Amino acid sequence: MEATKERHGWKWLLCTPALIVLVLAASGPLMIVLIYSFLTPGNMGGVNWEFTTEAWFRVFWRRDIFDPDQVTWNEAHLTVFWRSISLSLQTTLLCAFLGFPTAWFIATRPPNSRAIWLFMITIPFWTNLLIRTFAIQELIRNNGTINALLLQTGVINQPIQIMYTDFAVLLGMAYVFLPLMVLPLYAAMDKLDFRLVEAGYDLYASRIKVLWYVILPLVKPGFIAGSILVFIPAIGAYVTPRVLGGGRTMMLGNLIALQFGQGRNWPLGAALAMLLLIIVVTALVLYLRWVNREEVRRG
Amino acid sequence: MAEVTAGTERALRGGSDAARPARRRNYSVRRLPGFGVIAIFTFVMLYLPIVILVAYSFNEGVSQARWEGFSLQWYEAAFNNRQVRDVSVRSLWLAVTASGIATLLATLAALGTTRTSRFPGQTMIYALINQPLMVPEVVTGIALLIFVAAIKVQTGYTGMGYLVAAHTAFCIPFAYLPIRARLETMDITLEKAAADLYASPFQAFRYITLPLLVPGIVAGFMLGFVISLDTVVITEFVKSAGQDTLPTYMLGQLRRTVTPEMNAIATLFLALSLMIVTAFFLITRKRGV
Amino acid sequence: MAAQGAGQRGARDPVQTEIDIRKVSKVFGQGTAAFHALTDIDLQIRSGEFFTLLGPSGCGKTTLLRVIAGFEQPTGGSLQIDGKEVAGLGPNQRPVNTVFQNYALFPHMTVAQNIGFGLKMQGRPRAEVAATTDEMLNLVKMEEMAERKPSEISGGQQQRVALARALAPRPRVLLLDEPLSALDLKLRKEMQGELKRLQSETGITFVFVTHDQEEALTMSDRIAVMNKGRILQLGSPHEIYHSPTERFVADFIGDTNFLELPVSAVEGAEATVTLPGGNGTAARLPDGMTPRPGEKVITVIRPEQAHLVEDGPADLQAEVETAVFFGTDTHVHLRLPDGQGFILRRQNVDHMAEPAPGTRVGLRLSPGALRVLRG
Repeated sequence: MEATKERHGWKWLLCTPALIVLVLAASGPLMIVLIYSFLTPGNMGGVNWEFTTEAWFRVFWRRDIFDPDQVTWNEAHLTVFWRSISLSLQTTLLCAFLGFPTAWFIATRPPNSRAIWLFMITIPFWTNLLIRTFAIQELIRNNGTINALLLQTGVINQPIQIMYTDFAVLLGMAYVFLPLMVLPLYAAMDKLDFRLVEAGYDLYASRIKVLWYVILPLVKPGFIAGSILVFIPAIGAYVTPRVLGGGRTMMLGNLIALQFGQGRNWPLGAALAMLLLIIVVTALVLYLRWVNREEVRRG
Repeated sequence: MAEVTAGTERALRGGSDAARPARRRNYSVRRLPGFGVIAIFTFVMLYLPIVILVAYSFNEGVSQARWEGFSLQWYEAAFNNRQVRDVSVRSLWLAVTASGIATLLATLAALGTTRTSRFPGQTMIYALINQPLMVPEVVTGIALLIFVAAIKVQTGYTGMGYLVAAHTAFCIPFAYLPIRARLETMDITLEKAAADLYASPFQAFRYITLPLLVPGIVAGFMLGFVISLDTVVITEFVKSAGQDTLPTYMLGQLRRTVTPEMNAIATLFLALSLMIVTAFFLITRKRGV
Repeated sequence: MAAQGAGQRGARDPVQTEIDIRKVSKVFGQGTAAFHALTDIDLQIRSGEFFTLLGPSGCGKTTLLRVIAGFEQPTGGSLQIDGKEVAGLGPNQRPVNTVFQNYALFPHMTVAQNIGFGLKMQGRPRAEVAATTDEMLNLVKMEEMAERKPSEISGGQQQRVALARALAPRPRVLLLDEPLSALDLKLRKEMQGELKRLQSETGITFVFVTHDQEEALTMSDRIAVMNKGRILQLGSPHEIYHSPTERFVADFIGDTNFLELPVSAVEGAEATVTLPGGNGTAARLPDGMTPRPGEKVITVIRPEQAHLVEDGPADLQAEVETAVFFGTDTHVHLRLPDGQGFILRRQNVDHMAEPAPGTRVGLRLSPGALRVLRG
């Protein structure tokens, strides 16, 4: 009741210019994608304005060319979905495995050198993702640094094929998204009261037990935040799988892009994009609900 | 008596030793076995690829593995490459324009959404501002592709306006963050003090709020600049023919066998980003000025 | 404008009213969630006096200050400054300046720019701004620091700059919101003296908010003790300390003994009460209170207003429980015959022996010290 008495008009007025740009170049187009996912594909890309749920159907299933009633799973799509989810989860795990000790290392440095270590983690984060992917490519391609080195030293006599494999994509994603795991973990560890760790040791816990029963539960919020921050861009990744994975190890982002290029099936691309958005939003909502619950629990 | 003397001696020899007389070894509760090794490994892995990339940009030969002597020939090649020059200028122009507009809009929005009581629609405004951060770039990219295609058909306009709008929208949340943070940490009594000292609301804004907000605005602009400069996916989908930026140009080149000319371009790009990020950190770390 | 004429003022009638507050109230929120920060405040602050609002945190003293400054608009009542109604005027339209609790110095301006800000905002000529700034720097002895930023000077120096900044436009009233609370004890004592000096040199009315009773007693011409949004007692430091009329006031200021005693007779503003042990003694009544004989009243007496007597007539007897040595004085905890506790403060002259626990002693009360409290 009271709020209505206050005048809020000026606040909206200040936000309006930004909102216009955002609606025109971000939210609005997203609505159009939703609409397009229910239309019929045009011949040379684009759409025909006929309503159909066919595009959504084709996300998961396929019809036999000769007998449209013959329905089978769209295995090509399912493979891509599975690879996207699996690689994103693996990336998250790998980042956690490397990120946790790294964040711990930074958090336990003396305060004055801590800022420098932290800065070293943030530099790659702010440097172009494409350049970092390029750096990895130069390292692992068949006549790249690693293979050349191994060939020269005689360890192998045939270059190892790393490029264009799932492993290359995993490596690249873990490399580019690692800072996103370290930063929230560090933030949580920075707040950690080391007297609690001392109390753990004082009560006869071993290092492993202190890690498991004291440290991990206390830095869990940072862990989960980091996992979300890695998983979301990983599942939506486009550049890294395109450069390191090529056409054979496509991820969801590349499959979407394909429909607007060679595939020329815009409604299917729109439906796939919506699917990706649903996955991301679900992950975010689950995360936010967890955060809220945690806040309530901790008061 | 003897114990006291022994204790004093220990205290004289070393403070920490005396504090925990039972422990001979330095038992740090902050140490976890193996963590240091993994951390150092991670740092090395983080920087090694970039160092190699930079190093081979100075290589005499074409190889990414065999050092054939120091040379600046790839930098020379990059500078003489007309296409590289064009896309670089376009990238910088786009980053300055988009980030400039985004910073202005984000400043206004931050002034409207901070330090006020909750008002109807505030959550929606936050959601709209932060949306580009949450939606995968590839989704935003194809959404803009569809939208731009429709407008192109209607109007026939194929200029840089689309890219400017797309980059601006994408930069707004990044520019908004430091400006909002700055406003929220600003002591609200300063403006009250100004009002108490006969400043009108406009004067209080002009002489107190705005000068104090400048570091946030500069940081917001830099962040937006770096983001726009790095954006590749959105640009890739929105650009018309002949509107390549440096990242999309590089993405296109990566499909072919690349020469160290690409290393040279990437190194220069890296240096620029590094300069901006360092400046950003210096500005945001310097508090209370 | 509002601050006009504040520049040069001659000697003024000392009892002229500067701030006239009538029936001012301030309510935050509405309905059941309403919080009454100020209730029917009536207060006349005189020109040129050092006036203190004293009370615990949350008592409304800061709200009252903010209402005077114009940061809050009162929900009801009228507020006049220098004879002009100021309700509805913003802080920039009132001839009052505030020294904020955290000083609120503009971090991006130099000391001199901070001090000159108010004058600049008033549109005074550049030369005048510069001259007054110099004058103020001189007044607070900060000439050396003129070009420093607030972050480059100490807390005490920031305090001086905040004072100079608020005084520079020559306001009719200076409002000080617990300005000394951030300083350490030594600096606080120093600044207390400094504030008194500035007040007498400038002749400006000071309205000072504090929760520190000692600070209030040493600095003020008059004190208003506040609690729960109301003014409980208004008077000189002497009146507040020696003649509290409310239990809260007596309790909040200084150490106090409360004794519940039966009244035996009432004569005008004085009652005769019966002390434990049977002796009668006079106790002053607060205005408008006439208890019936036989009624029990709460009386108050300060610990230093009772004395141990070795021989000679005593007003009452007591038993020593403990004696706590404090250096300059000793606190003797006593138990009266009716079981009530009593604390006595004895000045330590020469080497006086502490009374041993369990000894019976005689007590004499300073004549006229005992007071009956309202309630």
